[in-house]
Amino acid sequence: MITLLVALPFLFSFLLSITTYFDIGRIYRKTIFLTGIFAPIPLFLLKIENLPIGTVLGGWTRISGIEVAIDQVGFFFLLATFIVFPLVAIYSLSYFEGEEEGKVSNESKFFLMLLLYGSLVATFMTRDLFNFTVFLEIASLAAIILVGSSDTEGAKLASFRYLMLYLLSSFFFIFSVGIIYVKTGYLNFHLIEQTLVMDTELKVAIVIAFVALIMKAGIFPLHFWLPDAHSKADTPVSALLSGLSVKAPVFGMLLFLRYTSIEFLTGPLMIISFFSIFFGIFMAVFQTNAKKLLAYHTVSQMGIILLAISVLDIYAAAHYVFAHALFKSGLFLAVGPLISSEGSRNLNKLTYRGRGSLIGAIIILSLAIGGISPLIGAFGKHEISMRLNGLSLYLLYATSIGTLLSFSKLNFELFKSSGNGSERIDQRIEKMVVFFIALLTISFGIYYYPKFKPIDVLFIGIALGILTILKLLHVLEWDVPRFYRRDVDGLTKQINFYTMAFVLLNILLIIFVLKIYQL
Amino acid sequence: MIESITGGYLNAPITGVILILIGLYGLMIKRDLIHQVICINIISPGVVLYFTGLGYVSGAEAPLFPNTEVVDPIPATLMLTTLVIDVAVTSFALALIIKIEEIQFGGDED
Repeated sequence: MITLLVALPFLFSFLLSITTYFDIGRIYRKTIFLTGIFAPIPLFLLKIENLPIGTVLGGWTRISGIEVAIDQVGFFFLLATFIVFPLVAIYSLSYFEGEEEGKVSNESKFFLMLLLYGSLVATFMTRDLFNFTVFLEIASLAAIILVGSSDTEGAKLASFRYLMLYLLSSFFFIFSVGIIYVKTGYLNFHLIEQTLVMDTELKVAIVIAFVALIMKAGIFPLHFWLPDAHSKADTPVSALLSGLSVKAPVFGMLLFLRYTSIEFLTGPLMIISFFSIFFGIFMAVFQTNAKKLLAYHTVSQMGIILLAISVLDIYAAAHYVFAHALFKSGLFLAVGPLISSEGSRNLNKLTYRGRGSLIGAIIILSLAIGGISPLIGAFGKHEISMRLNGLSLYLLYATSIGTLLSFSKLNFELFKSSGNGSERIDQRIEKMVVFFIALLTISFGIYYYPKFKPIDVLFIGIALGILTILKLLHVLEWDVPRFYRRDVDGLTKQINFYTMAFVLLNILLIIFVLKIYQL
Repeated sequence: MIESITGGYLNAPITGVILILIGLYGLMIKRDLIHQVICINIISPGVVLYFTGLGYVSGAEAPLFPNTEVVDPIPATLMLTTLVIDVAVTSFALALIIKIEEIQFGGDED
């Protein structure tokens, strides 16, 4: 029964794809799209009463069958998908209505969005290494084509870079799946767990798999594809990519954390996660492009999720994934109406003055991403902080301050500039969706973590203080230097360099593992 | 010469790994989009060869009749999926290159 959660979106995406050969009205296509999005939700709501549930397809045994399951961890991933996707679908109907039809028709984008939806749901339910790989590939491919279908300048280059790096990491992931299959004899995680003997080969395989997943999740130092791909896509697509698509590799990491042993890797993962957090914040603070600022915050926030994995807290990771999916998609959707009415992504031109609900929503979502209680971000962050002590705990506090600093800057710029674009009349649905997401971040936050921590006020104060100092010193006007030109030549050099970085991280971690083993 | 490196023992998985390394080398130094797509397409059969080679049992039959000793069918079936995805992805990458060149060079020259 739970397989219908996956089958329905795929069925409707197929139906939508064949409608391009028939001359039927747009309204029918939109109906098919919305049916595909909403059809699995009642089923999901029926099933969440008695978790965990699972089944092996076709009544086979685990050894020869394909297992799918929903448990307390997958639940949060699925809940995020089933909340964010329908809201983005409603938003995108209104958004694409107002935009001029580009070279790629909106129906093809809807078809790809359904494909992304189905494969994400499947990824979050799988218990099998190979199905995980296949659905991750479908999800990434749909995402890549969606990025490439945008008419924004540079979207094609971003899509190509994403494609090459995704393929590279995919092949390495499959390579590591091969090693795991040889060592354990199975691809099902339950069976792998039963026959698991952690030796050097298996450790190396897990290292290669993790580096590939870090690349796919856009975590520093393998984040290169993310900021461009997420900022150049159409706004609803950006929300899906930053909110949901990058969570699929995280689910893979959690499967490894649960069914195999990754204790030997926690040290390097924690170092990588803190680098990712602070690099993301550092780059975000200097951005003048609103969507790129949000994209760099995805790099930073994915670092926090990796931090939860490095302290081996599977539930904290799942909770923070849920939180991040809500507020990051909300933030992308919130800047969408501002961008379309000004016709620019530059923060100096965008403004939210005179748009009551949007001001409220953006401020609430900014506080949520900063981890202010009782909003949704505080819950996962609190769980992570329970596992940390000493320097790492203070670094986590610094994360909150840095994120708040960057979002104070965003809010300040949005408030400062007056803007000259006219407000489009048909932005009502967009605003309602954004406001609804903001309300959800409050209500889920209060439901899961109904406390108020006074220290959060101090964090906001420090962030505002630092922003004032930086503004007075004119530090924020500094341009981050570009190392590569924005053309084909620059693109090829980038791919050369990024492949080297990928191989280098693999080699470094493998050397680390081998050395630990000999000691 | 290859035999001297591998000690006279060159099987499918090792060949696969060598192909992966060749592809990686190309991806690190080639300054042309088409070349880079080809390099990815060298890594891909490397992975397929490596994976299929894992299931190989010397002297065994194709897994059609369960009574005889057979090679492991799972790697081969899984690699079929990878190959299919690969074909589609390559065509998409090439289409994307055409679009990129069109944007950069105007697209009127042939």
